[in-house]
Amino acid sequence: MSDYTPTVTGTGARARVQRFGAFLAGMVMPNLGAFIAFGLITALFLDTGWVNLLAGRVVDSKPVDTLEWTAQIATVIGPLINILIPILIGYTGGRMVHGARGAVVGAVGTVGAMLAPVALGFINQDGGQPYASIAEIPSAILGAFIIGPLTALALKLWDNFIAGKVRGGFEMLVDNFSAGIIGGIGAIVGIYVVGPISYWIAQGLGAAANWLVDLNLLPLVSIVVEPAKVLFLNNAINHGVFTPLGSAETAEIGRSIFFMIESNPGPGLGILTAMLLFGPRAIRPTVPAAMIVHFLGGIHEIYFPYVLMKPVLIVAAIAGGATGVLWESIFRLGLRSPASPGSIISWIVVSPPDQLVLIVIGVLLSAAVSFVVGMLVLGFGRKEAKEGDEVDLEAAKEQTAANKAQSKRPATA
Amino acid sequence: MATIDGSSIKKLIVACDAGMGSSVMLAGTLKKQLAKNGVTVEHSSVAEIPKDADLVVTQTSLADRARGVVPDVPVVPFQLFLGDPAVTKVVKAIQSGETIEV
Repeated sequence: MSDYTPTVTGTGARARVQRFGAFLAGMVMPNLGAFIAFGLITALFLDTGWVNLLAGRVVDSKPVDTLEWTAQIATVIGPLINILIPILIGYTGGRMVHGARGAVVGAVGTVGAMLAPVALGFINQDGGQPYASIAEIPSAILGAFIIGPLTALALKLWDNFIAGKVRGGFEMLVDNFSAGIIGGIGAIVGIYVVGPISYWIAQGLGAAANWLVDLNLLPLVSIVVEPAKVLFLNNAINHGVFTPLGSAETAEIGRSIFFMIESNPGPGLGILTAMLLFGPRAIRPTVPAAMIVHFLGGIHEIYFPYVLMKPVLIVAAIAGGATGVLWESIFRLGLRSPASPGSIISWIVVSPPDQLVLIVIGVLLSAAVSFVVGMLVLGFGRKEAKEGDEVDLEAAKEQTAANKAQSKRPATA
Repeated sequence: MATIDGSSIKKLIVACDAGMGSSVMLAGTLKKQLAKNGVTVEHSSVAEIPKDADLVVTQTSLADRARGVVPDVPVVPFQLFLGDPAVTKVVKAIQSGETIEV
């Protein structure tokens, strides 16, 4: 079955980018539960959230006489995204570099980076006033990406240097104080170096992105995002780039389009549908289960192989993705928090109530566009019968057998 | 191309980029299929494949990285997450204790 063990290709660049992206995503993904908690509480209890909406306390998209207990619950919204999430990310980044000890100093360093705008009295671009308190700080995920692993690396170097040199009985003293000192230095470096740098980078990226949104040019991003996705850079792009950008924006305006760019399940659904009807006959039977896992389970990886098999389908992915982003920028749509996994269910749950219908239409539109373009590039499946290339036929028999042998559906999604 | 002896596989790792999505799904399926064969099926991210694995299955696009992480463990790449012949072959080999080429 040597056909099925393709020779190792693209060893260098792609694997390196994947690895770096996986490092960034690895800091975010274990903490997705915290993002979802933030998204759920925002969607439900914000003054314009579901509870107030259903209680008739929202008039013309404006909060009127907000229920007191929802306002009480909503106090956690800001701290979750501005304080907890960067600290968790710095903690996780530290843990990836140097275990439990690295995690702790990574978190300490992150607090410094996070507070730089307040400590140094940066001007809040929105109000024209200096950041006055911790409540106003922008979500410093970018800073956490840098300072968390960096502080942990410093501690790791120290621990390796000192290993075996500590007199018996003094290990705990040395361990605790080295972590305390290096963590403290990390916080200071965070305030004066990493915090300001990452703050200005984030502001710059945010401004550039808003400029694209204003000119309705954001759909161009799909030209990069969709091909990168199917090369398994999906997590890297979504959680390495869009989650930090989106978190900064959602802390300000309560929603962000950046959460929608990579996680839109529409294009994948369109491609799978095109594949089901017009793809190589041999693989059509595998598609329906893949559609469920993709669209409802949110595991986009499942459609990537179909695109890799028929690379021309990437055009369909880009068209569908760009359609979605264009729709979302025209109507200024956004999600409350990262929709992860990228399932239609996650999307519905973290949609602002007043935008829900438009958001779902956007997903369906991108699915429809991907399907139509996919259908065209697959030549309506007419070529399939003639081509009947051998690999497909051979795979066909095995695959049909495999489908029968296999339990009908995947266990988890 | 190395050969692997299906009966000697005790720990099978399904790896994906994050170790949270697709690998969990495929590991769940394989766990059921191999429950009677005394094989431990686990999922992990490519970067954290345990060194004591007997066999790794992962998507073709991630196979390079998997080989880099555990150079001594055979890696079986597959394309489709559902019903891929390469995966079916591994399952059959383990169930029947046959030797296969990877």
